[in-house]
Amino acid sequence: MTTTTVDGHAADHHDAHEDHGPPKGLKRWLFSTNHKDIGTMYLVFSLIMFFIGGAMAMVIRSELAVPGLQFVHPEFFNSMTTMHALIMVFGAVMPAFVGLANWMIPLMIGAPDMALPRMNNWSFWILPVAFGILLSTLLMPGGAPASGWTMYPPLVLQTGDAFPFLIFSVHLMGISSIMGAINVIVTIINMRAPDMTLLKMPMFVWMWLITAYLLIAVMPVLAGAVTMLLTDQFFGTSFFLAAGGGDPVMFQHIFWFFGHPEVYIMILPAFGVVSEIIPTFSRKKLFGHDSMVYAGSSIAFLSFIVWAHHMFTVGMPLTGQMFFMFATMLIAVPTGVKVFNWVATMWRGAMTFETPMLFSLAFVFLFTIGGFSGLMLAIAPADIQYHDTYFVVAHFHYVLVPGSIFAIMAGAYYWLPKWTGYYYSEKLGKTHFWLSTIFVNVTFFPQHFLGLAGMPRRIPDYSTQFADFNLVSSIGAFGFGLSQLIFVLVLLTAKKGAKADDRVWEGAHGLEWTVPSPAPWHTFTTPPKARIANEAFE
Amino acid sequence: MDELERKRNIRRTAILVAAVALAFYLGFILLGVMRA
Repeated sequence: MTTTTVDGHAADHHDAHEDHGPPKGLKRWLFSTNHKDIGTMYLVFSLIMFFIGGAMAMVIRSELAVPGLQFVHPEFFNSMTTMHALIMVFGAVMPAFVGLANWMIPLMIGAPDMALPRMNNWSFWILPVAFGILLSTLLMPGGAPASGWTMYPPLVLQTGDAFPFLIFSVHLMGISSIMGAINVIVTIINMRAPDMTLLKMPMFVWMWLITAYLLIAVMPVLAGAVTMLLTDQFFGTSFFLAAGGGDPVMFQHIFWFFGHPEVYIMILPAFGVVSEIIPTFSRKKLFGHDSMVYAGSSIAFLSFIVWAHHMFTVGMPLTGQMFFMFATMLIAVPTGVKVFNWVATMWRGAMTFETPMLFSLAFVFLFTIGGFSGLMLAIAPADIQYHDTYFVVAHFHYVLVPGSIFAIMAGAYYWLPKWTGYYYSEKLGKTHFWLSTIFVNVTFFPQHFLGLAGMPRRIPDYSTQFADFNLVSSIGAFGFGLSQLIFVLVLLTAKKGAKADDRVWEGAHGLEWTVPSPAPWHTFTTPPKARIANEAFE
Repeated sequence: MDELERKRNIRRTAILVAAVALAFYLGFILLGVMRA
């Protein structure tokens, strides 16, 4: 790469040695150091994991459709809830956002690639190994892990042969995430186009920078916690074993010190995606760009001081409860700033409602519902009633499904023409959107009522008083699952539409829209001129 | 910024961030050791 600036983005002005296309066959993917190829692999991997995790959700909802034990043993049911969560969190949502980051961050900041491309290859290829190991536990004596994704001791120590494999796979997922986060930080700090100051960065890049710092701080904490579980099980330590003088509640503190920022790791990039899409389809600049950055940073900071709201019922001093309750409620302020800014961006905009915008609008509405139920759960005395009920399940699924996953879908539709060079079928996209939106609410809204009525989570059977809402929820879940097949159809027909322009969407602004569609294998081999970066920002 | 300097900065940032990650890992295990 040269530092000489030339006119234009120079997508086709390569250094001589880079004037080649991708290698052919398997080698292209196995040894790839190209951010676009690695981004594609992340996205395909996350889609596969989404369907595997989704299939497990179908097992859960089949069993819960009517009272009584129908299809699976209770032990296997517990494995399904555990594996569903681990796969969706670490295998579907996080890799999908890393895939979007890989594809879009270099294009948005005018960099030729990620700063550490070989490490980027490692970050990705560790993941299939990690999840291969995790999924292989389904076939092991004693079954797959069944103690919940939180892996609380001493229950998790009763896992059969799967235990060391669980710990190893979680370590691998952590290593992959940390390497990915290092790459994002190093790329954004060192590879921005000339004159693209930090506050001129697109919001998706900003939210990812904050997310990467969160990952650096908390993934090692999870790794530390599971390392201690491993030594408790096999090396005679008693970090968490009461019989040996250890403290099982300490695990909960350490886990949730990781676990709460993890929630924001899954939602801040979603905020970034939505903050790119709403201005485009409102044909206005993002309202309050800088305040969005400060709000994102505030959310990240606050996420470190609220972890014990997940464990109000373990018994803690009143002052502790008060602190974690009020600190949690404080998060509503920067989150409210964001929601206000999205609405203000749309205010008097020339709005159109293509699929990415529809998913983004649904995100704003439905994520906010998840936020409100989160506020309800933050109230310590109320939480003692809600704790471990389906109200909690409803809350976090509203945050993660019409929250994170809708934002991923929005991003995929938004950037798909830039990736493939063709417009996808808007008709299929909108069908996918409407069916997903209807069924996601049919699935998860009744779970609020189940929880308030006292139905506990993580049970394969329940009292007959919960039968009706469970049946509705299961019908919704199957409808939602089947609706996602439309997305596969959209991808399979992605190159059958009209040829996409460079800018793709009329209202789109940013460096990524200055390169051809589909984006060439090498882009910005010479940095874009400052003027062009500025115009893209304007 | 010349190419050499950029590479040096990339290496420095990467090492710094990796060191922070390692510190969190070891720090929390140390916390467990001291508490147990």
